[in-house]
Amino acid sequence: MPTPTDLLQGTLDLLILQTLALEPMHGWGIAQRIQQVSMDVLQIGQGSLYPALYRLEYKGWIKSEWGNSENNRRAKFYKLTATGRKQLATERASWDRLSEAISQVLGKRAEVSS
Amino acid sequence: MIVELRTWFRYLLFRKNLKEIDEEIRFHLEQLTAAKMAEGVSEPNARRQALIEFGGLDATRERCEQQRPGWWAGIMTQDFRYALRGVLHNPAFSIAVVLTLMLGIGSSSAVFTVVDRILFRPLPYSDSSRLVSVGLVAPIEPQEFMLGGSYYEWQDNQKPFVAMTSETGVEPCDLTEIDPVRLDCARVENNFLPTLGITPVVGRNFLPSEDRPNAPKVALISYALWRTRFHRDPSIAGKVIRIDGTATEIVGVLPQEFEMPRLQAADVLLPESLDVAAQRRADPGRPLWAFARLKAGVTPEQAKAQLEPLFEYSLRLAPAPFRREVHYAVRPLRDRQFHDVHRAAWILLGLVMAVLLIACANVASLLTARRASRQHEMSVRAALGASRLRLLQAAILESFVLSAIGALAGVMLTATLLHLFIGISPSGMPFLSAAKLDARALIFSLSIGLFCTLGFGLVTGVSRARANALTSRSALSMQRARLRQFLVTTQIAASLVLLAGGALLTRSFWNLQRQNLGMNYENVLTATISLGQTAYPTAERQMAFFEQLQRTLRWGPGVNAMAMSDSLPPGGYHRDQIYASLRVEGQPPYASGTGGNVAWRWVTPEYFRALNIPLIAGSGFTDDELSSASRFVVISRSLEERMFPGQNPLGRQVYLANRAPADQDPPYTVVGIAGDVKNGGLAAGEEPEYYRLRRSRAEDWDRSAVVIIRSSLPAAAMERWMREQIASLDPALPIDTGTLQERVAKLADQPRFEMLLVSYFACTGLLLAIVGLYGVTSFLMVQRKPEIGIRIALGASKGDIVRLVLASAMRMVLPGTIAGVALAFGLSQVLSSLLFEVGPHDTATFCGSTVLLIAATITASLIPAVAATRVDPIATLRVD
Repeated sequence: MPTPTDLLQGTLDLLILQTLALEPMHGWGIAQRIQQVSMDVLQIGQGSLYPALYRLEYKGWIKSEWGNSENNRRAKFYKLTATGRKQLATERASWDRLSEAISQVLGKRAEVSS
Repeated sequence: MIVELRTWFRYLLFRKNLKEIDEEIRFHLEQLTAAKMAEGVSEPNARRQALIEFGGLDATRERCEQQRPGWWAGIMTQDFRYALRGVLHNPAFSIAVVLTLMLGIGSSSAVFTVVDRILFRPLPYSDSSRLVSVGLVAPIEPQEFMLGGSYYEWQDNQKPFVAMTSETGVEPCDLTEIDPVRLDCARVENNFLPTLGITPVVGRNFLPSEDRPNAPKVALISYALWRTRFHRDPSIAGKVIRIDGTATEIVGVLPQEFEMPRLQAADVLLPESLDVAAQRRADPGRPLWAFARLKAGVTPEQAKAQLEPLFEYSLRLAPAPFRREVHYAVRPLRDRQFHDVHRAAWILLGLVMAVLLIACANVASLLTARRASRQHEMSVRAALGASRLRLLQAAILESFVLSAIGALAGVMLTATLLHLFIGISPSGMPFLSAAKLDARALIFSLSIGLFCTLGFGLVTGVSRARANALTSRSALSMQRARLRQFLVTTQIAASLVLLAGGALLTRSFWNLQRQNLGMNYENVLTATISLGQTAYPTAERQMAFFEQLQRTLRWGPGVNAMAMSDSLPPGGYHRDQIYASLRVEGQPPYASGTGGNVAWRWVTPEYFRALNIPLIAGSGFTDDELSSASRFVVISRSLEERMFPGQNPLGRQVYLANRAPADQDPPYTVVGIAGDVKNGGLAAGEEPEYYRLRRSRAEDWDRSAVVIIRSSLPAAAMERWMREQIASLDPALPIDTGTLQERVAKLADQPRFEMLLVSYFACTGLLLAIVGLYGVTSFLMVQRKPEIGIRIALGASKGDIVRLVLASAMRMVLPGTIAGVALAFGLSQVLSSLLFEVGPHDTATFCGSTVLLIAATITASLIPAVAATRVDPIATLRVD
């Protein structure tokens, strides 16, 4: 199981922004969603999730407000701001470029070795 | 104010965030527990697993906080408040550190300001480092001078200089116009200003054609005179004024910062107007003072070597007895100006560096002692997860707060001290009166403060941040204790050196004040009078005035004795000649060298009575002799012993101007032997002296005289009466009155200044050493607390504990004292030239200083020793 530190620097931010792009969510929800979507490959440790959320909020990419959870508990919900949306687009683009580049390198290697 | 506001603001934000984080985390944990329970785990188990899975709650919270922008500033303010609390919590320690810093910073920057004016002041000449004073040096005039017979030869043939120039001194002169004033007129060569690199602010310099005898009279005036007398008239050049009755054209105005190279006051510059051809032939020629600008890259030493042949030339001109005693010198102008105070300035700088060293050692040892007593707290903080950086930061902040307060107090002390220095400084300390706290001195003190902060905060911080768990002692801390003990030992040695120096100077000053001057200066009033050239152009007119003044003053109320002379003992100006120029009738002249100096004065008959100088033999001068055509002399006992060993001098004839043409060397009859009187200042040795009678003949008088009145009436009343009497004869005459006691006290200004300064530093040094010793002894006490506790538990008495602590203090004091005595023994030699009738190794002084130091140190270590007796054995045993 990959620990949070195994994620590439900045990847966690991207994952959080992408998750929040769909709907506002609380911390627990974000962790669950990422785990679900990645089919349990990506498990976000709480030790890095909350600092990341605070960091993003201080940067002004996400905004928090208190609301009620599905089981009627008071929870803090995060949602994407306009800046955050723009940031998500930029980060996505650069991620796509990066992963394409990596897969190309890996692809060529694979051809040579086969 | 700003800090408060920021703290308040930060505090608000911080609280809210903490609550939010907690609530968010709690929600997360609930969800996690619920998820576990949904998988079929029992509730307590689910909660436990959730907590484990989540990890450190505090760490998460901390990391969330760290994301906040300005988190650092928040931490800083938190630490700052913590530091401030630490400072206030332990006032004894804080006061000790602040006091140390205040004394160290205050003393050093005050001295730096003073010394800066003397050692490092830029001279108001262009490229002044290349200006030198050049000339001959002889016992009669130990500062460089030149003679007309040699000067022009030197000027023409010298190689090391770009230019060489001269001045012939400053004399009083009168601006004789409506509202006449007495001015100081300096006579300089026409290349004087260009050589020094000075350009007049208005008008021009003298032309060579104006620097000749009988040339049209021209003058340059000082900026101050231009401002006060001529209201900054821009068209002043060309204006004609009358100086001593002669029409003189002003050709220019000197810059505001202009000063004569020998620092004499001068209002007007006049050309020397020397007859160069006559001076070249003359022997020895007019005395003058020469200055030169070195060629680029030439040092004064090289210049001196290159001038050797010219010196040989001058030496050939000198009379044979002089040759062995005449030398020559080339030295930077600054050295000449601060000839006397240079050494004092360096001593001062040395003293203050010693004090600064002690202060630094103190701060270091106090801070480490403080850290040691808080080691437990630091270890707890480290154990609770405070990072090493955080602990270091806290340590630095605390010492920063302390040094900021110390630096502030130091700056205030600097201002006070400077005020004090100026108040007590002798007039001989040039420019001291103008010294004021400047930016560089401030930077100097603040950088010391900063150095203390970073240096010692860092050192103590690093050593403690090691957080070697919660063990009570370690080998490391003992090693550091040894370093501190060494520092204290050094401190004690340094303060003993200062103490011994201060005590020596105090004793010397005491001797100086109580010495027998050979005369009685109480109830004596003096008035110095210098007659103007215009109103009193001839010696006859001058004598007539002074004789009339004598008649007016002699029979005034309360006048017991009244005399006139041309100078006054015990210090200051008096006439001098060499012993070799004296000759006793029927004896060969003195032939081995110059024989040193002989002082002499012109006096009237009552001189000895007025000053209470005993006449050992003979009747002294009588009124009958005043009208005599022959000449009379009274010699001092030391001169008598030299000129007439084993003979009776009374009635013998002496010649006082040997080697002069016979018509200028008349015989004088010895009519008395007077007791020796101090005549070279208070401290210097006395020269043999003789007195010539000022008869009622014009040839015995000149334009200046000193009135001496011994009176039984109060000095203030007498002084007023005397001024009135002089004014009734000539209301425009400038006079300088005062009691002889004041004059003598003024001579003691310099030694008093030196004594007070060194004593001040001695007290400061001692105080600092005591604080340092106290700091380290307290530290050792804390270190040995468990041991002391055990001793008490085993039945040690209070006396035993006090002895124990005192013994550990003495282990620092005794080596320090021994080293200090040895060091002081070696260094006091530096002071020997400042000491009067006390040897630099005076036993009583050294013993006294040592006893004082040991007594003070015992007192300082008694405080922690008594504190040690209060150690609670139960508490300490429990900790271990």
